Parts: sequence; structure tokens; C-alpha cells
Amino acid sequence: MNMLRTDAEHASQKKRSKLLQNASFQKLLFLFVALVPTFGGYLVFGLYPNLLSVYYSLLDWNGISKAKFIGLENYGRLFMDHYVWRALGHNLFYMATVPLITIFISLVLAYLLTNKGYAGTAIFKVLFFFPNVLSTVVVSLLWAFIYDGSFGLLNAFLKLIGIDMNGFYWLGDTRTALAALVPPLVWAGVGFYIVIFMNAMSTIPKSLYECAVLEGASHMTRLFRITIPLISPLIRVSTVFLVLGTLKSLDLVLILTRGGPAGSTDVIGLYMFNMAFGEQVQNYGYASAIGMFLFLILVGAKLVVDKLIPDRGYEY
Amino acid sequence: MKERRSVIDLVWWVVLIAWSLTILFPIVWDLYESLKTNVSFFQDVWTFPKQIQWGNYRKAWVGYHLLDAMVNTLYYVGASLLIGTFLTALNAYALTRMNFKGRKLIWGMIMLSLFLPGINALIPQYILMRDLHMTNSLTGLIVLDVLGENVFFLMLLSGFMRSLPRELEESGTIDGASLFTIFFRIILPLSMPGLVTVAIFKFIGLYNTFLQPFIYLSDSSKYTVGVNIYHANMLMQYTNDWVTMFAGVAITMVPSVLIFMFFQRWIMEGATLGSVKG
Repeated sequence: MNMLRTDAEHASQKKRSKLLQNASFQKLLFLFVALVPTFGGYLVFGLYPNLLSVYYSLLDWNGISKAKFIGLENYGRLFMDHYVWRALGHNLFYMATVPLITIFISLVLAYLLTNKGYAGTAIFKVLFFFPNVLSTVVVSLLWAFIYDGSFGLLNAFLKLIGIDMNGFYWLGDTRTALAALVPPLVWAGVGFYIVIFMNAMSTIPKSLYECAVLEGASHMTRLFRITIPLISPLIRVSTVFLVLGTLKSLDLVLILTRGGPAGSTDVIGLYMFNMAFGEQVQNYGYASAIGMFLFLILVGAKLVVDKLIPDRGYEY
Repeated sequence: MKERRSVIDLVWWVVLIAWSLTILFPIVWDLYESLKTNVSFFQDVWTFPKQIQWGNYRKAWVGYHLLDAMVNTLYYVGASLLIGTFLTALNAYALTRMNFKGRKLIWGMIMLSLFLPGINALIPQYILMRDLHMTNSLTGLIVLDVLGENVFFLMLLSGFMRSLPRELEESGTIDGASLFTIFFRIILPLSMPGLVTVAIFKFIGLYNTFLQPFIYLSDSSKYTVGVNIYHANMLMQYTNDWVTMFAGVAITMVPSVLIFMFFQRWIMEGATLGSVKG
């Protein structure tokens, strides 16, 4: 009897341990499937190339011939390269204009849609978001049609109100091309910020406005004195996002002007791109050095924006 | 709190209308001109088309090989979207609802990707793919898109899965269900709204990607829709066939318009998910 019990106990223990083993094996298998493709892929195709780009920036290499280690020579060349600084200047111009205009327009439109309750608010909201789902190629081509000298919408419109531009190519002139790229960049981005600002604004209690209304504050005063301070953390995040995005972006410029005419719209990302994948030159080492330089600028830009916009939240 | 409407209100309303027009005008203009002949377009961009030229759409569809491009895009977007969403779901489940050694470290390393600009990885990534013989291939692009982490999608699904009650797994384990059964039978169906949001955003993102396909694909027979229309526009400088180009751009817009029409609420709610409360 006694013996039998121990046997039974033994058997159940064995069974349990086998089950446990099975369960832990299952867990291991699950973790393997769940982590290797995504996290492993990220290590191989994300992190590793990022680290590798540091090494590449120290090479003289066109991607085909044998790479030559040249130390910091690429960085020396970069600082002497007039084109790098010109491109950086254009980046600064976009950084100073695109985020500011985008946030300003989004704030005003979001405020109007949240607090005014005009007819068609729901339709406006959807319509304003629409450009955000369009691809950069489509946005670029639509704006290329607008800016065209001979058959562009802009010139046709100006002619209608009595201004004849004589077939002026907005994207083909070094004086206007740089500024002409600002509207498409803003146009394509505003909708997203309207939606997130509207969402934040709708959480502000109505009671906060009532007092201001009683004292006769105008809508503009309410927007700048109540709404904007209350959602300032979100504005701050949006600014960082837009500034960094503007610094990195190159596809719209690539499609619309290829950095031309005469390099007047070249940006640092595009210069790097052309160095690596351009038709004439293939200099992976130098392009990587420009990439590293851009990385440092991005870090710097984030620090500057953080300093410029105070990080203060209000409780309500 | 109802306020009286005033003249200023009218001004603000005009502002809203004006912004709507800046959005509608370029798009409507493209559609309008796509229905004309080149001759009437060159003569005067405003004149009404005498006879509606649906043929421009056929010309664009055939001339720009849009069917091939659409099939390529369907393959690239469809496969990346299905595999990618599934892998992200697995990943989110493991990282939020399972305990294992090194989980914190993995989270930390994934968060690190937020600080990587990505743009300077473009070259080493290309070399890597070239060494693996996966350039000039749509499958290569799928591999590149699917194998990796995306913090936005991961956070979205993790947040979703975290809100599911623990008892679900516990009762499943008692009933003897394996981890895989629990994941497929309980977790995935309950996370459906999150999965749909991720899939929609993946669709928009993938359909709109330009840089990667542009860099990687060298055979014109492999072009995606975006790259295809870009090259068509480059050629248009020589052919001067504007109206066909207008039609081509209109066709390129169709998938975006459809997805936006059907999933408009999901998209706009999803857009706010990533942002913090103001």
C-alpha cells in the first residue's frame, strides 16, 4: 500500500515535470518566434547599419573597389565643402519656416473647429486631414503642376486677377525655388497637427473659458492666453517632431527640384543621398560622414528646441 | 455656452473655407485637366473640356504600365502589411505579457531606435542588402520592412494588449491550452481593433514609401506605383503629354482616397493615439 502510494506520487511528479518542461519549451519557442524576426531584424537591419555608418565615414570607398581607411579625412573635407554649408543653410531656412507656419495654421484652425461649432465642422476636419494620406510623390506632382511656368495653376490664377507672370517658372528660378517648397511641405503636414491639437483642446474644461468670456476676452486672447498655454507640452513635442522631420526630409525636394536649379534648394539629406546614390559620383565614405554630421545636427537641434520652448505644464 | 455670431465669425468661416479650397483646388484641378485634350489644355487651362476625354485614363493605364505597377505594389504592400502586422503582434505580446530574462534590456534597445535618424543607415543598409543579393527585388523590400521594430506600432499594440485581463491567459492555461493557442484564439481576436489600426497605418505608410523602392528597384518592371509615376513624370518633360500625366496622378491617388474613405474614423483616431494629453 505504502509502496503503491509512493509509486503513484512518483509518477505524477514525473508527469508534472514533463508538463513543465513542455511548457517552458513552449515558452522558449514562442519567444523565439516573437523576438527573432522583429528584434533580431532590428539588430541586423537597423542598429548594425547605424553603427556601421560610423565606420564607413572613415573610409574612402565607392562601394565597389577596395575600401581604404583614411581616418577623419572625410570630416575635414566636409568642413571645407561649400556645398555642405549651402545645403545646411537651406535646412535652416526650412527649419525656421515650416514648423512655425505648420503649427500656427494648425493651432488657429484647430481652435476654430473645436470652439466655434460652425456648420460643416466635421467635413472640414476630414478634408483638412486628407493631404496627410497622400504620398509624397502625389503631393509633389500636384505642386509641380501648380508651379509650372507655362500651364501652372498659380500663373493661370495670377493672370485671372490681372498679374501676368510671363510664364515664370517658380521652381526653375534660384530666387523663388527655395521658398516655393515651403507651401507643399506645410500643406502636406497641417492636417495631422489639426487633429491632435483638436483632440487636446477638446479635453480643456469649458469652465476655464467661461470666466474669460464674462470678462469680454476675444477669441484671439482666449486662444493665446488660455488654450495655447494649456496644451504647450503637446506643442513642444510637435515642434521637436517637425523640426527633426524637416531636417531629415529629402524626398519632396528630390522629386520636385532634385536640389536645383543650380543647387538652390539642395538640403543636407539630399546632398548625402546624391553622394551615395547619385548618377555621377558614388562616394559611400564621404556620404556616411555627411550622414554622421546630420546626426549630430539632429541631436543639437533637439537640444536647442528643448531650450527654446519652456517645458511647463499646467494643471487643470 | 452659446455666443452670438458676429462679423468676425464670418471672417473666420472664410478662413476655413479658404484652407479647404487650397486642399480641394489642386486635386480638382488635376481631375479637371485630366479630362481634356492636350490641345485645349495648352490653349487655355480654364476652358471647359468640349468632350470629356476618358481615353486619357486608358492611355495612362496602358502607357505608364500602371497595371504592372499596381500588381507590384499590391505584392509589396500586401505581404509587408500582413507579415509585419502579425510579427508586431507576436512581438508586442511577448514584450508586454510574458516574463523572461532580458525583457527590460530589449525594451531599452528598441527605444534607442527613436534616437537613430535612420537616414545615415541608408548606405550600410543598402550594402548589406546588396551582399545578401536582395537589391532590385520587391521581396527584398518586404524583408527590409518586415524584419525590424517600429516603436509606434509596438506601443500601440502593447497598450492594447496590456488592457486585456490576466484571467484570460490563466483560464486558458488551466484548460490546458498552449501558449500559441492562447495567442491565436484569445489574444489576437481581442486585439483586432489595434491590429486594424496598425494595418491601416502600415498600408498608408507602405503605399506612400518612395525612397526605399526608388533606391532599390532598378528594373522598371519592378517599380511600385509611386516610383513608376515619378519616372513617368520625368519622361513627360520630353513627351509633353500633360493630360495623360494628370490622369496618371489621379489613378495613383485612388488607393489613398479609398482607404481614407473607408477608414477615415480609424485613421483620425489612430493619429491621436501617439500623442499625449495636452
